[in-house]
Amino acid sequence: MDTTVYQTPPPVPETSTPAVRARSLTKLYGHGEGMVRALDGVDVDFAAGQFTAIMGPSGSGKSTLMHLLAGLDTASSGEAFIGSTDVTKLDDNQLTTLRRDRVGFVFQSFNLLPMFTAEQNITLPLTLAGVKIDADTKEWLATLVTTLGLGERLSHRPAELSGGQQQRVAIARALIARPEVVFADEPTGNLDTRSGAEVLSFLRRSVRELGRTIIMVTHDPAAAAYADRVVLIADGRIAGDIANPTPESVLAGLDALRTFETTADTGATGPGATGTTGATGATGATATGATAQVSV
Amino acid sequence: MFGLTLAQMRRSLGRLTAAGIAIVIGTAFVAATLLAGEVLKRSSYDSVAASFADAALIVRPTSDPDAAGYGSPLTQGDLTTIRLTDGVRAADPVASTYVVLGQGGKSVYQTVIGVGSDPSLQPLAVTEGALPSSPDEIALPADVVARLGTTVGGTVTQTVTVVVPGAGSEDEWEWEETKVTLVVTGLVDDPNGAFSMTGGAGLLTDDAIQTRISFDFGGDVQFREATVALEDGADVESVRADLESTIGQLGFTVLTKDEAAAASVTALTNDEDVFTMTILAFAAIALLVAALVIANTFQVIVAQRTRTLALLRCVGASKRQLRSSVLLEASLLGVIASAIGFALGALLVQITVLALQRVDLDIPIPRSITITVASVVWPLAVGTLVTVLASLVPARAATRVAPLAALRPAELDGLSKSSSKVRLIFSLLLVVGGGALMAIGLGLSASSSVEFGLMTAMLGGAASFVGVLLGAVFWVPKIVAGIARLLSRFGASAQLAAANTVRNPRRTAATSTALLIGVTLVAMMSVGAATARNSLATTLDEQYPFDVAIDAGVISSAPDDGTDPATGLTPALIEDLSKVSGVAAMAQLSGTNVTVTWPDDSTSQDVVVNAVDPAAAAAAVNPDGLFDGLDDQTVVVGLFVASAYHLDSGSTLQLAGVDGTVTVNVVVANIGSDNIIATPAVGRELDGAAVVNGVWLKITDPSDASAIVADIRDTMSQTPAALTGAAMERAAMQQVIDTILAVIIGLLGIAVVIALIGVANTLSLSVLERRRESATLRAIGLSRRQLRTTLAIEGTLIAGVGAVLGVLLGLVYGWIGSTVVLGSFAGVRLTVPWRDLVLVVAIAIAAGLLASVLPARSAARTSPVEALAVE
Repeated sequence: MDTTVYQTPPPVPETSTPAVRARSLTKLYGHGEGMVRALDGVDVDFAAGQFTAIMGPSGSGKSTLMHLLAGLDTASSGEAFIGSTDVTKLDDNQLTTLRRDRVGFVFQSFNLLPMFTAEQNITLPLTLAGVKIDADTKEWLATLVTTLGLGERLSHRPAELSGGQQQRVAIARALIARPEVVFADEPTGNLDTRSGAEVLSFLRRSVRELGRTIIMVTHDPAAAAYADRVVLIADGRIAGDIANPTPESVLAGLDALRTFETTADTGATGPGATGTTGATGATGATATGATAQVSV
Repeated sequence: MFGLTLAQMRRSLGRLTAAGIAIVIGTAFVAATLLAGEVLKRSSYDSVAASFADAALIVRPTSDPDAAGYGSPLTQGDLTTIRLTDGVRAADPVASTYVVLGQGGKSVYQTVIGVGSDPSLQPLAVTEGALPSSPDEIALPADVVARLGTTVGGTVTQTVTVVVPGAGSEDEWEWEETKVTLVVTGLVDDPNGAFSMTGGAGLLTDDAIQTRISFDFGGDVQFREATVALEDGADVESVRADLESTIGQLGFTVLTKDEAAAASVTALTNDEDVFTMTILAFAAIALLVAALVIANTFQVIVAQRTRTLALLRCVGASKRQLRSSVLLEASLLGVIASAIGFALGALLVQITVLALQRVDLDIPIPRSITITVASVVWPLAVGTLVTVLASLVPARAATRVAPLAALRPAELDGLSKSSSKVRLIFSLLLVVGGGALMAIGLGLSASSSVEFGLMTAMLGGAASFVGVLLGAVFWVPKIVAGIARLLSRFGASAQLAAANTVRNPRRTAATSTALLIGVTLVAMMSVGAATARNSLATTLDEQYPFDVAIDAGVISSAPDDGTDPATGLTPALIEDLSKVSGVAAMAQLSGTNVTVTWPDDSTSQDVVVNAVDPAAAAAAVNPDGLFDGLDDQTVVVGLFVASAYHLDSGSTLQLAGVDGTVTVNVVVANIGSDNIIATPAVGRELDGAAVVNGVWLKITDPSDASAIVADIRDTMSQTPAALTGAAMERAAMQQVIDTILAVIIGLLGIAVVIALIGVANTLSLSVLERRRESATLRAIGLSRRQLRTTLAIEGTLIAGVGAVLGVLLGLVYGWIGSTVVLGSFAGVRLTVPWRDLVLVVAIAIAAGLLASVLPARSAARTSPVEALAVE
């Protein structure tokens, strides 16, 4: 397991077919003196068939990064690709189609439509696209329902479901159109620990068993540990990358980030300094094995 | 708490504004009605005052029923008493009558008054020529002189009709007409509009006026009141005291000009108050609709503030405080909106008054409106009260918010609980009871006690309508849901819109109901008017089969007195008549006198046979198939002749004319004539030389009858012939019905406008409420256009259901109403004014669509990012 904390922009990763890419992605808010760089020239790749968590302190730009990657918000400069499509170049209608056909979303507060049943909520993206539900889709729906354990709940309305069940319906909704990538924004933020763990397991299963690509924004190290990879972000820049994370390695990475931030704040860092620390330990196996360090 | 209320109001400003507009329109309606009533009052005051000219005092019979001599009018003797009083320069009777003046085939009814003894008592001014000085002279308004085609110095013919005892028995009276030629001595003007109600007045000498009045009423000439002018320097009060001591003892009262005008207006305006009250009833309907809109708005506002309210409860606010806060908010909104409404109403009336000033109406219209205390207080009080009352239920809802709600996640419950059983039972009772009352009303009216039946049916109608409205929350959502299910098949937007309209049944019901009230009443009035028009038209068709019938009488082909044989209606004249624009069809009749041998072998001489071509006749009469039986072996006789001579269809008659005798069969039909109608072939056998002496005319557009008939009269001006027919009656009747309908629909239209504002309001509130939902939908692939379409379908659905249900209810009420009103005197023909009803529904749906435009725009602006935001 490798934990890397970058101080300068990281080298552009070489991946054969990244599902999602960002190139020099920048987002500015306001202008003049009050201008804020929410994202500052971010380059990052997200591999297909992987479960990636984006982590970082509040205001680090992790949500902004996700909004831009998903085409929910417009970038100030730079490019964001889903597959080979540059989402920063699309107009509203093209973005709508992209979101409908190629992207799925899971929200913190579930955002199910209260007047529809669970099944209607799940198939909503297809309804919006005006797609007839064919045998293939039916089979896919059955797979999702079984995988997510929703069989008995399909005719219930959201108000009659628990939080965990609602979020599982939301995950099924995000996956029904077989999108290239699913973005999840703090999917466990409104759930208790047990339901949260359930939901995260389902997300991981959908990657491992159903071959989906998921990018999740979270601030919970335990949640991030379910991912295949954690991308750390601070101050609008990619600040670290943890492969095969465990709660401990994530915590350590975050700590390192904080230490780094502290030292960066005191001006101790020199420009261009790069620190890479190889941390040892079997993936998620030992509690003490994974540590992240910053060498200055 | 006050500061908090204000802060909350600021946050909900947009929503409150939308609700406020409903109240603004309602109160503007009330204010405008009251102010217009004041203007009318002022205008009649000025008009009455103008008729007193420059009189200082007015003497009129006392209105005190206990006074001695109560009820006796002024006589010539009383006038003399007044004239002899010290300080009195002149006294003239206030007396008007009318004369029938004709010239060159035209005639007018003209109000006339006397010249009087003193110029200061004369309200009319001579603008050209001189006052009449002998009974065969007259001064007239310029427009009358122009209409009669004469000039100053020219003449007009006065037709005097007197009732004289008949020659036969004492019980019979006859009308006797004499014609008098009057010289026009001058033109008069009515500068202050004293006779604006009667279209100006002419002047005759006082003697002529008295003669005229005594012609009409016989006996000693009496007057309503007298105007008094004082000598220069005479004191008004002392003369008044003198008069009161003499004439005042005989049952008369002495008033100054202002007092008299004020008293007259009070008597007059009792009628106007009824008029004002009627319009205020429509304002009440508008305010009721506004109340529904406001109640709806406040309900949503309270729902949206649930968290804040709960928080307030958590930190120690009492239920009472929350309720007062909502009520305070409603009062502030009510006061502000009512004040704006009053200002708007005042502005509207002022603009109207100024506009009327530009149009020369001959009515003294005040330059500016008079703002009375009542006209300010009523709109403000009513507007505020309605707003506060409408917010009572939402205020109660606010007190029911549990402090715990602050701690729960803010997820609005999707579907509200079912409504109370009490409401359902109450509503059913009202509908059933009202229906029963209407049935009783129908029965009563059928058994000819129309007035009582109408009252019962109205009560039943009102009760059942209230029941229908109360129950709306039960059945309107079901209907909306049903239509929504049908719609769901048409794509995602329709499915979403359908789901959205049924998620909050109460709100949908209330919004639809607000529209339903106005539409029901509009539809009811349209159906009632169409039915009335149609039923009366049928009755008229039966009574007067012809629009216009011209009869020159039978012209003897061989006059005894050796003069030239008359030519009847000349071909040239008939040609001219057929060319009159608006004449759709014409049938020519030739007439001859025959001797008829009836089935009982009795005979009658000089019975007129009119020969007419059956096809031409059928085209020129209104009822279908009236002359179906007419052929060369058959004649048609009218109902009166048939009953007088015991004829049935199938009887045979023998007709003996100057050239031959024929035997014919009889068909009885309601032809509105005592003549026998035959074919031209039969006519020629009876009298080969008979000339055309009459025509039947059908006109194209009954609503334009007055103009067409005037043209026909002008064409006929040189020919002596009688002109009869239903065209004028029909036109007058239709105009009355159409005018009343237009006014009523205009007044109800305001309620409909308010309801449509309610639709827009509901939609924009829903948009606000569903902000996150919209964002979610956008995030998972709903396009902007789909989102806008969703809102458009919702608006259309709410408005459409309200309008269609309203039209259906209106049909039922309109039919019941017109059956009750017309049942006794006309064959009621229930009529559906399809065009009007389709128009009402189309307008409502278009407005629903329009109402969705702004909310849809704001919804479409929602960024999908908002879906990710956590509340």
